Amino acid sequence: MRAVCWHGKHNIQVDTVPDPQILNPRDAIVRVALTCICGSDLHLYNGYIPSMKDGDILGHEFVGEVVEIGSGVSGVARGDRVVVPFPIACGDCWYCKQEMYSLCDNSNPNSWAMEKMYGDTGAGIFGYSHLYGGYSGGQAEYVRVPFADVGLKKIPDQLDWEQVIFLTDIFPTAYQAAEQCGIREGDTVAVWGCGPVGLLALKSARLLGAHKVVGIDRFPKRLELAARECQAEVINYEETDVVETLHNMTGGRGPDACIDAVGMEAQGTGIEAAYDNVKQTLKIENDRPMALRQLIKACRKGGTISIPGVYSGFVDKMPMGAVFAKGLTLRTGQTHVQKYVPPLMRLVERGAIDTTFIITHRLPLEDAPMGYRIFDHKEEGCIKIVMNPLAASQATH
Amino acid sequence: MVTRYGSSFEEDSKGRQINVGSKERKASMIGGAALAITGVKKLTQGNILSGLLMLASGGMFYNRGKSGHCNMYQKMGVNTARDVQTPIRLEKVVTINRTPQQVYDFWRDLENLPKFMNHLESVQVRGPVISHWKAVGAGGLSVEWDAEIVQDIPGQKISWQSIGEADVANEGTVRFEEAPGNRGTEVHVLISYTPPGGAVGKAAARFLQTVNAVQLEQDLKRLKQILETGVTATAESWAM
Repeated sequence: MRAVCWHGKHNIQVDTVPDPQILNPRDAIVRVALTCICGSDLHLYNGYIPSMKDGDILGHEFVGEVVEIGSGVSGVARGDRVVVPFPIACGDCWYCKQEMYSLCDNSNPNSWAMEKMYGDTGAGIFGYSHLYGGYSGGQAEYVRVPFADVGLKKIPDQLDWEQVIFLTDIFPTAYQAAEQCGIREGDTVAVWGCGPVGLLALKSARLLGAHKVVGIDRFPKRLELAARECQAEVINYEETDVVETLHNMTGGRGPDACIDAVGMEAQGTGIEAAYDNVKQTLKIENDRPMALRQLIKACRKGGTISIPGVYSGFVDKMPMGAVFAKGLTLRTGQTHVQKYVPPLMRLVERGAIDTTFIITHRLPLEDAPMGYRIFDHKEEGCIKIVMNPLAASQATH
Repeated sequence: MVTRYGSSFEEDSKGRQINVGSKERKASMIGGAALAITGVKKLTQGNILSGLLMLASGGMFYNRGKSGHCNMYQKMGVNTARDVQTPIRLEKVVTINRTPQQVYDFWRDLENLPKFMNHLESVQVRGPVISHWKAVGAGGLSVEWDAEIVQDIPGQKISWQSIGEADVANEGTVRFEEAPGNRGTEVHVLISYTPPGGAVGKAAARFLQTVNAVQLEQDLKRLKQILETGVTATAESWAM
């Protein structure tokens, strides 16, 4: 089959690799109908996530059709159209039983490595380094899905692939980020980063009853989408002082909750940005927390900082004094996608939300290397790229 | 091997005195092979210096085990047939989302142990309390022993120890305790083994202790996966 493979920093190629096989009774094989490049894939592309190996298949956002199931899989059958949540979860451990699927105890075969780094392990993730289990990803024609009875969610007939593709990751991720804000009447929620997750977080915060939502970015097209599609007020951080503007928008109180939809590769301005860029380049700091520092400073006293953006290691100059003095609450973590797919699928089915507005590029899988490049450089107004492996196979045969 | 009249020692194939005890020879071979294999891995990962050192010392240990002769011991005037050793202890704990009785039942059927203990090739039950264990170490060297269950409290505790002429004398205890608030069962494992004779055997065993502690931890992870999910998590990968 054809698959998007990682061969080192900034080196993505589409290779012919062996088809995946059923290895365990609870496995299924899915033929991919649509897959995406996630913002977090850019951290792999830029070489910031450790333990990648030459030839690893990328991708953790994919939907498709079940073509094979193991003897121990119930609840899904061959021919079912399915959404595949990006965290791999067993459904049986204590964490899964509490619906904390991304903290699954059992799905990461390399748990020892993550335990050495973090003190404990999270769930395995498709196509996201050997630290996260070494599973082959979904930017491919076929994928092996372990614990298929937990990790496959059936799609109603009337919904097409594009309507449900973002249920694999970014919509639940945005929704969980907004839910973690504990939104109450009259609340203002500010979202740093108006990429795919940021835009859907603005929408989710509205769905959950926020009085006002504010989007912060530097790309005019993203800010325009935030304003038009999410009814957000917007701030271009290159043109104005973000903290002061937010305070002016909220009667001097600051946003009740702040969402960091940026993560470890934040951009910034001035000397502070230069400091983090140098340290990250020299590999003495994993993550550039420019956005996070700003969130903490802007947030109102007693407010909530919700972090769906990915961090992988250590950050410097965390304003812990502000977190303490203002009594802030930090909510973080990978998304418990399996928990959110059923209710969010119903929202999509009802027409309460349409997430397809973020799609800017539809490419065949064979064009993945170009896709990574333009997404990373934010060229051509790129917000979200979806890729079709079937178009790819037609191109190559 | 030649035994000369009037001579009280054995010789190796090159006519040198055998001055390394038989159990220590085996330990030396096992430890040496493990060191050499780790050395090769280090080399492939680019750690040239430590890789070469491990490879070289691994080869030295392996050869002295195979021949029974140690130049260093000869120079030091050491002969280690009857050295008394202090045991090495490994202790690990894991919480499994099953009842103590369920975990006990799985463990008490000793033939299940190779399903999650990767170094065990087989355990054969030969009586109510007697079993025969076969383990394979680095380099494909195998060790075998008979074990006896010395304490058995259903749903709570199993203790065993090797009996007779064990290649590596060992004993272990596993306790099953209910975790608070429906969190399942805390499985406490304590394994101790006595490295066979000699300072080098002990050094190799000390080196292997870290490896074994990680192994035991991963063994218990697999036990948890089998009992909770019915399978062990596997990722196929054709990445280099």
